[in-house]
Amino acid sequence: MSNATPADIDDGIASADPADPLGPGSMLYELSHQVRWGLVATRAIVLEAAHPQIGAALITNSTFVAHPWRRLRNTVLSAQRMVNPDERVRQREAARLNRLHARITGTDAEGRPFNAADPEARAWVVATLFESTVTMCRLSGESLDSPALDRLYSEFLAYLALTDPDGGKLPPTLREFWPYYDFMIEERLENTEAVHIILDRLFAQVPAPPLLRDSPAAWAAGRALAGPVATAITVASLPERLRARLGLPELPGTRALTHTAYLSTRLATRLLPEAWTRLDTVMTMLDPAYAPPLGGDALGGLRRGAAKAGALLRLLTPAPMEPAADESRLRSASRFFAEVLDQTGNGYLDWPDLAAMAREIATRLDLDTPDEDRLFAAFADWWRELQKELDTDGDGRITGQEYAAATAAMTSSALIRVAEVLFDVTDADGDQTIDAREYRALFHTAFNHTASNHTASNHDTSNHDTGGGDERLTRAEFVRRFLNFMAGRGHSDAYDGLFAQS
Amino acid sequence: MACVMDGNGRWAAQRSLPRTAGHRAAEAAVIDVIEAAHTAGVEWLSLYAFSTENWRRPAAEVDVLLRLVRRAIRKHALSLHARGIRCRFLGVSDPRIPPPLARDIADLMALTRDNRRMTLTVAFDHGGRRDIVEAARSLIRDGVPPEQVTEESFARHLPHPDMPEVDLVIRTSGEQRISNFMLWQVAYAEWAFPSVLWPDFRAEHFWECLDVYRRRDRRFGGVQVPTATGKGP
Repeated sequence: MSNATPADIDDGIASADPADPLGPGSMLYELSHQVRWGLVATRAIVLEAAHPQIGAALITNSTFVAHPWRRLRNTVLSAQRMVNPDERVRQREAARLNRLHARITGTDAEGRPFNAADPEARAWVVATLFESTVTMCRLSGESLDSPALDRLYSEFLAYLALTDPDGGKLPPTLREFWPYYDFMIEERLENTEAVHIILDRLFAQVPAPPLLRDSPAAWAAGRALAGPVATAITVASLPERLRARLGLPELPGTRALTHTAYLSTRLATRLLPEAWTRLDTVMTMLDPAYAPPLGGDALGGLRRGAAKAGALLRLLTPAPMEPAADESRLRSASRFFAEVLDQTGNGYLDWPDLAAMAREIATRLDLDTPDEDRLFAAFADWWRELQKELDTDGDGRITGQEYAAATAAMTSSALIRVAEVLFDVTDADGDQTIDAREYRALFHTAFNHTASNHTASNHDTSNHDTGGGDERLTRAEFVRRFLNFMAGRGHSDAYDGLFAQS
Repeated sequence: MACVMDGNGRWAAQRSLPRTAGHRAAEAAVIDVIEAAHTAGVEWLSLYAFSTENWRRPAAEVDVLLRLVRRAIRKHALSLHARGIRCRFLGVSDPRIPPPLARDIADLMALTRDNRRMTLTVAFDHGGRRDIVEAARSLIRDGVPPEQVTEESFARHLPHPDMPEVDLVIRTSGEQRISNFMLWQVAYAEWAFPSVLWPDFRAEHFWECLDVYRRRDRRFGGVQVPTATGKGP
């Protein structure tokens, strides 16, 4: 046990504003940019899911099972915005999170209402992140001493205070935190469905990250080995009392495995070149759509480096079976339903699915309140229309069969309205066309030629940029492409990236 | 310099093998030539692998060719990268190119894009006339006034405009045709037509051609222009 802040966390701290608990120089800032933060986030989400309100919100509204990589990307970007050196960026992100959570309400399977903006639930989310960070340090063999713990706790309090004007419902001191934490574990947490979905389904079925999407066989083989290991490590790191309540036995050897995993991440963080263990590097490699908050050269360099590493990995991965030519281009109604419409992966189309689409758009475009409200209102109108026309058995949700029976109805007036609002909010400068910059903000990719206009765009990564420059999309063309995609009539890499890919 | 890799089918026919066997045997020659050019300090090497006209061949043969190219890319990507070779492709725009192959081509280019020791340009699904037409379209799209269209400004609209003109083209198997290959860039090229079929073409044949080229008196249409050196064949 050390007397000071562990060197791993202190390393790389540049200029520190002692009065600022969140920006560069804070422990939280440094940790949230390291890859091993992934261990913290994974463990924390299991603890969160055991909270009945959060578990219900996750089950009914979250896309983390069907689209885990997209969810991870959004979570990482959000966390990094919350510790951004610029206070305005933090405030803006906090306000966005509040709006996002305020929209997630409902009742759980037992009829109890839940609300993602509930202060107690939000406090628990921050508590799990704090406690998981402490656990990560302990299991990595670098337990935090008392001053470091106090400092880390005060940083998490500041983090919570950003989203809660009343300062949040966490105890004000670390001394009071541990009884609160014990109480939550003993009295509040439950054996929820969400916990088991995360442990049983997420790790076992996590789809390939964008980097390896073309090598499903290699991914499945790796996952068959790594999935159970990830589950075992996460389970073994949970508090024993909770594990017993959840009916999760501790398998022999998993404690050693967990220590080894945590210790390796610590050693990797210390010994490998810093860039390799930065979250930005790994995320950019796994997911080209990930856009870390860096400027100009740094971002370009990171992207190029990651693109090369990704290219090499793909070239060295055994080649998968080549699909038949048509299979990759056309999507049956049932695949479209599963991959695009059913965002939460529960087998039905209901409001949370459409809300997830609106949320993804709002997140990517970083919309302000009026635009976000317009977008959600347009999606809500579309949902009402879909419900009226397709929900033949009146159970409030649409099945794959109900959808397939009436695909034509997808080009409804409400959907056209969604397309138009999407155009308006994407057209940031209001010049009635979508230029390359606006296009990239929404789709995270350069102008790309869809099936109706195919050229070598997919293949062209040569030095001279084609298809950039002055190309613009008019309102009519934008609406046409959107409707084509939503009606399942046309393949679009851009919209696949936005809605379909994991 | 550039190679038109001709004679695979005849090589196979001479051995009573299917044409595809000739394509398979061609891989060794490709690697040998890349290695020889690399050793000789050649900075720009282009290989004509597949023309826009080759799509007319029997579907089964095209299919085998596409698979061979993909296999070769995956097999040799790392060693090409390790040798500091930048790999680029010329053409590659037909929708019939299978997406996995397109992905591998894009990956190979991305992986090697910063290498500078040698640039290997693989003309695949390439047509020299098509490149010229595309450049003309690009000029028109940019609204370049006719009086500003010069050879230099035109060349900037061709794919890979940084590629220098080709000094030497080797076409194996004794055939003496251009076959729509990099029409703009070969305007002043010297040609060598060794009779050896491509699958049998090896480093020593390559050196012979290079030697013949060095002894030629290149005049570029004039009388006393010195032999082009420096940037290399």
